[in-house]
Amino acid sequence: MGRDLLASRELAWRLMVRNITAQYRQSFLGIAWAFVPPIVMAAGFTIASDANVINVGATDLPYPAYVMFSTALWQTFVEALSGPVQAVTVAKPMLARVNFPREAIVLAKVGEVFFNFAIKLLLIVALFLWFQIAVGWTVVLAIVALIHLVMLGTFFGLLLAPLGALYQDVSKGITMITGFWLFLTPVVFPVPREGTFGFLVNLNPVTPLLVTTRELATTGVVSDPYGFWVASLFAFIGLLLAWVAFRVSMPFVIERISS
Amino acid sequence: MTTELRHQEIAIQPKDSEVVLSVEEISKKFCRNLRRSLLYGVQDIATELSGGKRTSAKLRSQEFWALRDVSFQLRRGEAVGLVGSNGAGKSTLLRIISGLINPDTGAVKIRGRLAPLIALGAGFNPILTGRENIYANMSILGLSTKEIKAKFEEVVDFAEIWEAIDTPVQNYSSGMAARLGFACAVHTEPDIFLIDEVLSVGDVKFKMKCHRRLAKLREKGTAFVLVSHNSHSILNICNTAIYLAKGQLITVGETEAVVRKYEEDLCLSGMEKATGPLILPRKSPDESFGLDITLVGFKDAQGNILETPMSGEPVNLCVECFAHRYIDSANLGVVVKSLSGENDRVLYFTSASDNESLKITPGNTELQIQMPYCCLIPGVYSAKIYIKSGVCSFDVVESFRFTVQADKTISRSLFYQPRTWKVISK
Repeated sequence: MGRDLLASRELAWRLMVRNITAQYRQSFLGIAWAFVPPIVMAAGFTIASDANVINVGATDLPYPAYVMFSTALWQTFVEALSGPVQAVTVAKPMLARVNFPREAIVLAKVGEVFFNFAIKLLLIVALFLWFQIAVGWTVVLAIVALIHLVMLGTFFGLLLAPLGALYQDVSKGITMITGFWLFLTPVVFPVPREGTFGFLVNLNPVTPLLVTTRELATTGVVSDPYGFWVASLFAFIGLLLAWVAFRVSMPFVIERISS
Repeated sequence: MTTELRHQEIAIQPKDSEVVLSVEEISKKFCRNLRRSLLYGVQDIATELSGGKRTSAKLRSQEFWALRDVSFQLRRGEAVGLVGSNGAGKSTLLRIISGLINPDTGAVKIRGRLAPLIALGAGFNPILTGRENIYANMSILGLSTKEIKAKFEEVVDFAEIWEAIDTPVQNYSSGMAARLGFACAVHTEPDIFLIDEVLSVGDVKFKMKCHRRLAKLREKGTAFVLVSHNSHSILNICNTAIYLAKGQLITVGETEAVVRKYEEDLCLSGMEKATGPLILPRKSPDESFGLDITLVGFKDAQGNILETPMSGEPVNLCVECFAHRYIDSANLGVVVKSLSGENDRVLYFTSASDNESLKITPGNTELQIQMPYCCLIPGVYSAKIYIKSGVCSFDVVESFRFTVQADKTISRSLFYQPRTWKVISK
């Protein structure tokens, strides 16, 4: 298993380069697509919040910066989640004809997620400068937390990928569920502490990972280290199991999807 | 000359350590209904993940065997051809060998690297240039970047796309894309090559180049598994062949014999065997017009009855008849239609048009049409035979069905051309 992962490293890199080049060559706006959604989201919520349409309470960052940064993180998570399903769906013809380490396509997708985040980083840096947010040394640790966040997303994605190749319902379902999931994650509001809603938000494994990433990058004070490690462990073990499941089930999927 | 070479190769029995591919009793079942097929897929995954045992040897509802207990071995430098009609399981077998799908029963053992030429240009992205696609495609086929770099020039040379290498592949002509795909695949230099109907890419010149390249690889010891509907290319490349029909292995062995069997079955499929002479009941004097055909059949030169005439062999078509009176100038006509093909008329001749007037005396007579060569290719035919005199028709046999067989492969031809060979030095 590990050997396959190593063997697929080079192929994954090649596929990632291929996907990214193709993606940007066919797009006029190019990397703007990485910036625009968080800006639009932030603009929308800032206007709503200023007009008192919604009441989100106090955030530890200026509200537009809070929304933008959180949205960028959330988007990265969603990309990591839908990545494996997308990758397998797109690669169907290839999977059906050539036998290659199938981890490669997922790995390539994870690489793409990080690449996209790197581009978003430009926005985040600009944001921090604009709002003059102080950044501590803990920003280095934020990268680790981000990796955990991506791992959690990949875990869910990898688990769904074989099924997603068979049934279109999966990718449709993912779109719907992530839409709902967003409201259970402290992206546009600070972490709620009480009520059923607070309970649900705190039960959500994305919450501690996303919040910790944000806190490490900004204030440097981790509010819930315990939750962070529980969610991380969940992501580690889950990813390992999902990987095994993926390997076992792919031959069955390929025999059903192919010509 | 090629035949001789092939025989020699078979005569040398290689050691078992030379076996690079061994297929052991593999079976595979498929489901015709998509919805159910997907459901079975999910079921299989669930049982496999939960560690349960799949009842893989039994068919579930709406399933059928796409392959059933197929075994064979392939040694270094050998080439095996897979023949069979559409849906016989050839591609499924290739896909199981290449490890894309797992067999339901049995096992495949492979020594060395295996490259499928099933998918030319797998992973080609139309937006990207030829150069980028070569890298992507060859890494999918399992080469490292270093190896690709080393072979890059060779690939471009082989595909003959020097000037188009930095053009997006979507702007390539279909032939160019196919050439690039083939070039990438062929330069991976595997130990076993799986080829599925892909030798037909590009123009004639490129095809020749492909064949030369494959021959060179084979000299180096690459083993081949070749699928083709074109028995000609199988005959040229392979020394052994496997004949599959409906997932069952029918015969394995020397190419000539296997291909002949396949072609015979192809010609005769859907037809009952039509062999031997046709014997007709004696007519009563009221029904008779003076001359009755009693038997139609084939005989060899010695006068023995032939059940089936052979292509290229001498044969006599015999029509026995009983005449009630003397007939001065009878005219025997024969119309032969092919039943294997599209029911086309293939032969028509009459004694009158050959300026032969047949004199028939009362009693039993045998009329012989002596043919030095049977020029019909293997297949089933129906002959209409009549005897006339002027416009007066005596008797007609509407359909005498017969089968022609061959001891060599000639089905690529439309008819048998009698010939002899000679070398004249000048």
